[in-house]
Amino acid sequence: MKAIFIDTLRQMMREHTDMIVITADMGFSVHEDIQKEFPKRFINTGVTEQASMSIAAGFALSGYKVFFYAQAAFASMRCYEQIRLDVAYNNVDVKIIGSNAGFALNQMGISHFSLEDIGIMRLLPTMTIFSPGDPIEMEWALKQSYKVKGPVYLRYSKLGDEAIHKNSRDFKIGQPICLNRGSDGALFASGGILHMAKNIIHQLKQDNIHIALYSVPTIKPCKIKIILSEAKKTGNIFTLEEHSVLGALGTIVAETIAESRIKTNFVRFGVPDLFTSITGSIDYLLKYNGLSAKKITSRISKIVKR
Amino acid sequence: MNKRKSFYSLEKEAKEIRSQALKMIINATASHVASSFSIVELLVYLYEKVLKINPLKPLDPNRDRFILSKGWGISALYSVLQRRGFFKKELLDEYCNDGSKMIGIATKNGIPGIEATTGSMGHGLPIGVGMAKALKLQKKKSRVFVIISDGECDEGSTWEAILIAGHHKLDNLVVIIDYNKWQSFGRVKDVLNLEPLVAKWKAFNWEVQEINGHNFKEISKAFNFILRRKGKPQVVIAHTTKGKGLSAIEDKNQWHYQTPRAYEIEVAHKEGLL
Repeated sequence: MKAIFIDTLRQMMREHTDMIVITADMGFSVHEDIQKEFPKRFINTGVTEQASMSIAAGFALSGYKVFFYAQAAFASMRCYEQIRLDVAYNNVDVKIIGSNAGFALNQMGISHFSLEDIGIMRLLPTMTIFSPGDPIEMEWALKQSYKVKGPVYLRYSKLGDEAIHKNSRDFKIGQPICLNRGSDGALFASGGILHMAKNIIHQLKQDNIHIALYSVPTIKPCKIKIILSEAKKTGNIFTLEEHSVLGALGTIVAETIAESRIKTNFVRFGVPDLFTSITGSIDYLLKYNGLSAKKITSRISKIVKR
Repeated sequence: MNKRKSFYSLEKEAKEIRSQALKMIINATASHVASSFSIVELLVYLYEKVLKINPLKPLDPNRDRFILSKGWGISALYSVLQRRGFFKKELLDEYCNDGSKMIGIATKNGIPGIEATTGSMGHGLPIGVGMAKALKLQKKKSRVFVIISDGECDEGSTWEAILIAGHHKLDNLVVIIDYNKWQSFGRVKDVLNLEPLVAKWKAFNWEVQEINGHNFKEISKAFNFILRRKGKPQVVIAHTTKGKGLSAIEDKNQWHYQTPRAYEIEVAHKEGLL
């Protein structure tokens, strides 16, 4: 994800002279080449997320498209009020890139985890939110971020390095992408954890359970038609994400189902509404929070067979 | 720029602006009369003598930018903007009315001349830093002027922006502090002392001037100096009196909140504001 992000951003800077990259002193081993190639359009504002976000808005109000980069926890939460008032309210072209979301900075603990970011961004009326699941989705989402009018929040974790799609030809903003068809249920996954969703589907298939798989790289807007039609058709809907079960994909699907007249089973797989106060590998932290392919496979299997 | 006006006519204009703002506030039973009164001379001078703006082209890319970071002083700014021809007088009558865009805190919602939504403290200056840096990148000669309150000097984001502007040597950025010595709950020196304020800004690599913010001669001298300077961002610490111009409310913090009533209105009549 990081490699494709760096390459794509650099290529975009070459193509678009109205692009500015602002970092609040983050991006060691990410931005060095961009800084060298575009010394005027790359600005390191220092460890000042709040002022930096307002500065980004000031640039955008002056006609630039600003890509603001920081680790997701700080890009979203440290300067949320600036995002709300200066960026989102003005509906200006500030594209917030939150790297190392979820448990990506696994050894660093709660200060560096970002499991609430999508939830709070989703509350802002003008915001478009991307959570790409593989390098193909990342390249697509980053390029879309430039094209979309108004603010964007794009977050990615350390999961999702393995390419799952062949190309992005059929991707549309807001449209979940079907990766697998199945008549027993549907699993909607967002972000780099998509590879785990793929494993789950595969394992269930061995057990003769056929679950449709959708990747959801655009969290907002999110076209709900496909969620409803899968719910109606299969009666078993599941979501999977490296985010709190509150506020992001799980909540969107819950709201969608709740407001429909469709009766369906529904389970959100995500980080429970609890702080994680331990360290460990990313895999360990996900498992600790109930997010393992094995556990989810058996849970889905039980529900479908019920 | 307008033709030169004598300080006398500027003083006359300042009184008319206060009168207009007071009427709007009384009509709407609104707050912040004292916050508006402390910046009247600064606004009048900026809009008459300093800012390169065209009210008929409020979005001209070559305009100077003015941000009222202390957005609650808006009744004075609306009055000044209207006088300069940014919009019709009828709009002033809508101040804080149901459904009106004439909101009681500066809000960028299509009212000509309003460059930023403020009111949440510590936003206007960093937005101005972004604009000033953008103007440099675009090789434009326009300047960015920001009026901040003394209370806003408590905010971390304000000091982040001061540090950044100093580092980037943004000599097209001018900050004016409305130092009326009152913040929300009390005297600045009692709540969170800002002194030594001049030394703080200097230490952040700004060029600092201190003036009486109600004295046109001093205001004029400060801006004449600024327009000739290069290499550093400029700050004018304007010592002001909260509620200046209506003796019944001067230097009393309650007029941050309350609407003038019978007694204050009587005094306003006597003092020629109503």
